[in-house]
Amino acid sequence: MQVTFKIYRKDPEKDGKPGRSNYTVEVPDGATVLESLFKIRDEMDSSLAFRCSCLRGHCGDCMVRINGSSRLTCTAKVSAYTQKGPEISLDPLRNVSVIKDLVYDWDAFMWNKIRTVKPWLDASDAPTNGESVIADARMKDLRKVMSCYQCGMCDEGCSVLPVDINFLGPAALTKAYRLVFDPRNQDARDRLKTAEGPKGIWDCVHCYEADEHCPRGIEPTKRIVALRDEAYRLGITNEKVARHHKSFTASVKESGWVDEGRLAVETEGLTNLPGLMKLLPTAAKAIVRGKAPLPYLHAKRPGAEQIKKIIEKGEAENK
Amino acid sequence: MQDFDVVVIGGGTSGLRAAIAAKRAGATVALISKNHPLRSNSALAQGGINAPLGKDDSPEKFAEDTLAAGDGLCEHGVVQSLAQEAAGEVLWLERMGVPFNRDKDGRIDRRAFGSNSRSRSCYADDRTGHMVLTVLYEQLQRLAIPSFDEWFVTALALDGETCVGATALGLRAGKLEGFTARAVILATGGYTRTYAPSTVSVGTTGDGQSLAYRSGARLMDMEMVQFHPTVFPKGQGLLITEATLGGGAEIVNQQGAAIQVAKTAPRSALSLAIAQATQNSDGGAYLDLKPIGKETILSSFPQTHELVRSVAGLDSTKDLIPIRPIAHRPMGGIETSANGATSIAGLFAVGECAANGLNGAGRLAGNTLTESVVFGKKVGEAAAVYAKSAPKKIFPAAMLADEEKKLAALTSADSGQDSLAKVHAELGRLMSEKIGLLRDADGLQQALSGIKDLQSRHRQIKVRNPGKIYNYELTGHLELGSMLTLAEVIARSAQARTESRGAHQRRDFPATDNANWKCHTIAKLSQGSAQIDNKPLAN
Repeated sequence: MQVTFKIYRKDPEKDGKPGRSNYTVEVPDGATVLESLFKIRDEMDSSLAFRCSCLRGHCGDCMVRINGSSRLTCTAKVSAYTQKGPEISLDPLRNVSVIKDLVYDWDAFMWNKIRTVKPWLDASDAPTNGESVIADARMKDLRKVMSCYQCGMCDEGCSVLPVDINFLGPAALTKAYRLVFDPRNQDARDRLKTAEGPKGIWDCVHCYEADEHCPRGIEPTKRIVALRDEAYRLGITNEKVARHHKSFTASVKESGWVDEGRLAVETEGLTNLPGLMKLLPTAAKAIVRGKAPLPYLHAKRPGAEQIKKIIEKGEAENK
Repeated sequence: MQDFDVVVIGGGTSGLRAAIAAKRAGATVALISKNHPLRSNSALAQGGINAPLGKDDSPEKFAEDTLAAGDGLCEHGVVQSLAQEAAGEVLWLERMGVPFNRDKDGRIDRRAFGSNSRSRSCYADDRTGHMVLTVLYEQLQRLAIPSFDEWFVTALALDGETCVGATALGLRAGKLEGFTARAVILATGGYTRTYAPSTVSVGTTGDGQSLAYRSGARLMDMEMVQFHPTVFPKGQGLLITEATLGGGAEIVNQQGAAIQVAKTAPRSALSLAIAQATQNSDGGAYLDLKPIGKETILSSFPQTHELVRSVAGLDSTKDLIPIRPIAHRPMGGIETSANGATSIAGLFAVGECAANGLNGAGRLAGNTLTESVVFGKKVGEAAAVYAKSAPKKIFPAAMLADEEKKLAALTSADSGQDSLAKVHAELGRLMSEKIGLLRDADGLQQALSGIKDLQSRHRQIKVRNPGKIYNYELTGHLELGSMLTLAEVIARSAQARTESRGAHQRRDFPATDNANWKCHTIAKLSQGSAQIDNKPLAN
């Protein structure tokens, strides 16, 4: 089968500008995209740079975009991408800075972010007589999460990273989950505080793209939600979004509906004067347009008592 | 110039464990790895990590099984040491966070694996290597050990007879740099990419063995290359863990009828049995996972199920999976003591890269990971102790410039029609056919002259890409050079051993010859070619 590969190129030792090279190669039936890349590098252009290691879907190193979708080249069969025609485009991931061709900066993309969550257990090195006795159900959950081979597909699918490249992202936060929910970790609370910090769990917009993208079914979004619940449960709520959630719940619990004025103030933080000052123009506009009639009073709505009971029931169940 | 007490080369489980141990022993440590440690070949280990934790088990029984798999060529002291220390290391891994499967009492579960006479392979689904690697890498970060990822070591630095560091090419910056060290630990893994097909990652090219050998170190038992019995042979080859056999899977013919082989025989015997049972039938052998049951396949072998689907396009809960024995892991490597000391002062080696006599002529299934952590720790500590007492050595001043010249001399726009991939493909075919499961004098001679021819072709091939940054053509050239160097050693060692034992089976010498060959082969570089000697067992 003859296939034309249209490959993203960039050479930092030349002009460093992105371009594209086309290579038409004959590949055998059943060939993978990675095998095609080897052939191109060997026979047509030895300067072509791409990463790979395990060759068979174990390690996550060869992740690129094939016809726009992120995939491991080592398990992607050429024939799966040529149904509309014998052309395949290969590009680096979207949310990365490219070093050369299909080789991009994994440090900035993922490794440094994972390092931010202090990705280790603080266990004692001293010998012991036996293992920690733990039910397999808990280990099973950890095995699922730790089956992550850092392929980057979750971060690639993430809706937040394209607008805020500093967001820790689903891969690093999934690592945080592994540390927070490992019963052997003495410092789970510390790890949760780290994950709860700026650019952490509260910046996730739960679009569930990470869950859609993860090839191992680890469901990173659900892990982030679990971290939020745990943070909430333990009262680790330092971030603005956490205060927003807290105020929202408190206000609905008290009056049966959201007190938007209170929500705005408590979200900014009662001691956060600069933040509160920023609210003033909005408040003034709201008053002028009759959206916040003075005196500003937030009355209980009918059925508030019932709503309160529902919330209390939920809180009791989560304890 | 970077300067450390201990420099570890290789980021798989052995290298990580050694780096952690050396750091804990008080040394300043750096890790150099040609790819990111989490991408190393250790991630491909599936079935388990052996430790005699069961009530029905003991270090003695574990040692017996290891010795039996080694077919008379193991060093007893080294085997004892593994058997005694395995449990402690597995418990350490557990404490550091490996999510081992648990039994109903919440203790580490163990399963039947290969020719282990007891269920002693602790496991984390069928991703044991991945999990151990992940946790060791976590601990490396905990200790803030600097990790030079995507740095390719081009040569060892010697001050007289002593190793004092290495030169390495940073792929990202495209820059060659010197690393001074009082002790260097090679943990670069095996050399199975000399064979095609094989079960290993693209970088398993014997860099460490070749670096050491070219610097004058001795290699041991290099003819011993284990074939794995149950590998889906198409494309790049996909190993299916033998733990599936322990779980009830059957080896069958195309019609689904069982092929009568001893499923718990050592790998070399099982591989031979499968090859022989199928040599006269067109259909070949298949692995039938159905007897394990769909639920257990999905819960205990999730990765196998996933990869059989994505790589082989088959459903492991329904389809028969074609299998063939394929080159897997060598037992041979750099000759070391139990503490990893090589024949060069200041140079240590550990794991698949080394031959300390643990594996003899055949490695017991589930011992690879155990070996890497038990001896990783030991060798890391020994290197740290050595580094403390070693006098400060001088990194040879001219070496960096010399290495740069050598690399530059490889590059030329005019490279002719030949190519690295062609030479590599021919090497792989030659090794599999002539120095594979069954060998004989004629075949070995053909292999050797073929290898010589490929070596000279390789010398003619130039690197066409003049770039410095991520020049994979250059690193590929160096890797192929390593493989061709070792291929010659493998061929010559296999020629020398005129008997059949473990992984080394000769058609022309089918019997085991304990009178003459209960000894190791030793290879040393002498006047540009491999000189083979024997070394008696210490036992």
